Amino acid sequence: MIKPSTLAMILAGSRVDELNVLTYYRPKSAVPFGGFARVIDFALSNLLHSGIEQIAILSQYRSYSLINHIGTGAAWDMIGRYRGISILPPFKDNMDQADWYRGSADAVYKNLDFVEYHKPEEILILSGDHIYKMDYQDMIDYHHRKDADLTIGFIKVDIKKAHRFGIAAIDDEDGEQGGRVVSYWEKPESPQTDWASLTVLVFRPEVLYRALEENQKSTSFEFGRDIIPLLMSWDCRVYGYKHKGYWGYTRTVEEYWQSNMDLLGENPLIDMEAWGLRTNLEHRGIRDAQPALIQDSGVVHNSLVYNGCVVEGTVKNSILFPGVQIEKGAVVENSVLFFNNHIGADCCLNKVITDVNSVFGERVSIGPDIGTVADRVSLIGWNNRVPDGTIIGEGATIYPNLTAEQWTKYIKAGEVLK
Amino acid sequence: MRVKKEALVLLLAGGVGSRLNILVQNRAKPAVPFGGLYRIIDFSLSNVMNSGLTKVGVLTQYKPLSLMTHLGMGEAWDFTGRSRGVKILPPHTGFKDSDWYKGTADAVRQNIDFLERNPADEVVILSGDHIYHMDFHAMLEYHRFKKADVTVGMMVVPMSEIHQFGAGIIDNENRIIDWEEKPENPKTNLASMGIYVFDREYLLNTLSRDRAENDFGMHILPRAIENDNVFAYPFYGYWRDVGTIQAYWEANMDVIRKNSGISPELWGIRTNTEASGLSADRPPAYFGDKASVSCSMISAGCRIRGTVHNSVLAPGVVVEEGAVVKDSILFTDCVVEKKCVVDLTICDKRVRIHEGAVVGAGSNHGFANKLQPKHLYTGISLIGKEAVVPSGVTIGRNCIINSQTKEEAYPGQEIADGETL
Repeated sequence: MIKPSTLAMILAGSRVDELNVLTYYRPKSAVPFGGFARVIDFALSNLLHSGIEQIAILSQYRSYSLINHIGTGAAWDMIGRYRGISILPPFKDNMDQADWYRGSADAVYKNLDFVEYHKPEEILILSGDHIYKMDYQDMIDYHHRKDADLTIGFIKVDIKKAHRFGIAAIDDEDGEQGGRVVSYWEKPESPQTDWASLTVLVFRPEVLYRALEENQKSTSFEFGRDIIPLLMSWDCRVYGYKHKGYWGYTRTVEEYWQSNMDLLGENPLIDMEAWGLRTNLEHRGIRDAQPALIQDSGVVHNSLVYNGCVVEGTVKNSILFPGVQIEKGAVVENSVLFFNNHIGADCCLNKVITDVNSVFGERVSIGPDIGTVADRVSLIGWNNRVPDGTIIGEGATIYPNLTAEQWTKYIKAGEVLK
Repeated sequence: MRVKKEALVLLLAGGVGSRLNILVQNRAKPAVPFGGLYRIIDFSLSNVMNSGLTKVGVLTQYKPLSLMTHLGMGEAWDFTGRSRGVKILPPHTGFKDSDWYKGTADAVRQNIDFLERNPADEVVILSGDHIYHMDFHAMLEYHRFKKADVTVGMMVVPMSEIHQFGAGIIDNENRIIDWEEKPENPKTNLASMGIYVFDREYLLNTLSRDRAENDFGMHILPRAIENDNVFAYPFYGYWRDVGTIQAYWEANMDVIRKNSGISPELWGIRTNTEASGLSADRPPAYFGDKASVSCSMISAGCRIRGTVHNSVLAPGVVVEEGAVVKDSILFTDCVVEKKCVVDLTICDKRVRIHEGAVVGAGSNHGFANKLQPKHLYTGISLIGKEAVVPSGVTIGRNCIINSQTKEEAYPGQEIADGETL
């Protein structure tokens, strides 16, 4: 029996403030996506299809949603003699000091005993926050062919947005496939190239150990900001692997909404079936949902609807997670409705993202009139009871768990209701 | 660990269900898909789980492979654990009983060692063939309260249907005082649902007494009623024996129909989603811009671009633009290409209907199938597993296209009403 040589570590700890109420109770990686799955499922499914079977997930922000989701790891075939997923939360040290992870590099440093125990031949570090399909094995092969200390996955982005990423100048050593990283800038103000880091890093273990040790003397502990520049300053063999294809960064509500819309259409940019996306159907018991029931008055166009939904109203350009009910006369357009939302009769929702478990009364209106184009996404936090006839302007944000007294009849565009 | 003395369940899943025709060509009746995601046996198994019973033997004999794959280790119904379990009990060669099961009672008799190995006060014997929702815990309580030797689940059915069942006459304490098995001139409309609670000792004694008594309804019950304490446990609610194509089709349609009394999700029906082809790896259903869907159940992984009305679609079914699917049941991964019409048809898994074909043409619903007039006589046509309907072909009413039928097998562009291919 061959022991796996790669250890993958998924950075899944962050909240991502810009995602607002969607990450109040869960890390970004556990945010629902695609009508039945979670964001982290993309990284996990990539690992599954790449044949990488030893996985650790570094998580410290409200981990329970993530822990529930990962379960035993069986959904991604990660159980077996040499297969497994471990979740590594922060812990108290010997001096009884509660030691939060101070950054992604610190998180890995604090778990070096775990890493060394596995004696990996290469360590794959990746973010659990992105939506993409990638064969990591191909990148690892490249890493070995170049005898690299570090290989970083890059993708071409719009130069106007390049300032948000780690940017590299890559030489032409292997043309289309990649090359030596000549320069690296973390979130540069005026980017000189449009090759952005995917936060997919393959390390030679000894080099990573040395860099993490050195980094402990610093006050900042991030792979992008600190570790990659450190290796560059050491003149290590740092290579860039050029990835092509879709990449959903989804760090703002608008980007997240847009990525959802990329699931729709006849030839969707994100093709979950072709990508072989897997999720844990035990989570929220979605395996027990019956097929979606479209009633006689139901209309569903250009939309994704999972098992467990009941549609009596009209749904267009939208994504319905399991257990969503749309009553008669209600119209839902350009929206993403998470698990178990109940949309009352004659509601109108246009460009809305609602977190789980909200009940919308009758004649609730959110966003601009149906058929008109909404600029901004309206966000509804979880576990709300929206009173009959409430009118919510576009771009409004409703906090989770509001009490009946907190609701008002009109909520203006862009308003935040806490 | 303390071994709980709870009732043992025996599920009779050996039925051929031959009236379901080509749907049972490769699988036992309990393994026939139902309601998009489920199989018929899921209803019995889930009832067992939801009644808190955890020790189950499933008696199989006819084409058990599909059934065994579906059961897996039983984790879908929470039957895995130290003192829990589902065991498949196939017929076996023994010292004396070296034969196939000769009847329901004989099947239990041949597995008497399973009964002896599992201590319990009662044995619940069920059929895996029915669509219903029932609390066996309440029935067991009733059985104990009545101090019965045998308790039979019974319900009122239309007088015209009673000839298919065991019929019982009860006194005002629900004691069964007379029994007729499949009566031609029935005196009652109280039917046996094939659900029995036996006192375990009583069952062991009864089965060893006369080895010629092979069937519960025919032999065991009439004698027990004469000599011992046999009570009826009245059941009110949805219950269907989906043993005929017509009944099977109607029960599927009941799942769509509002207020029909059947709701797999509310009933807590579980299925093995890991079994091949189910929803495990399937994304949500996609509805295209021109999709028109009404009164239908659509499972994950379907891609709908045409019209679907009053139909049940299992995972992965594709309905292309301009196609119309009406009053039909499509199993997993069927493809209905552009401009096809599929009307009043049951398609087994992976059927492919090529562009412009019509299945279920004309209005001659009463023209029964020529080979199997007792199976197909209401207009429903059947397309077998992985069969192909070539482009432009028209298939009439009450037709049977056998599984794996290839394009070359078609004699022409038209398959007339009642024909079989």
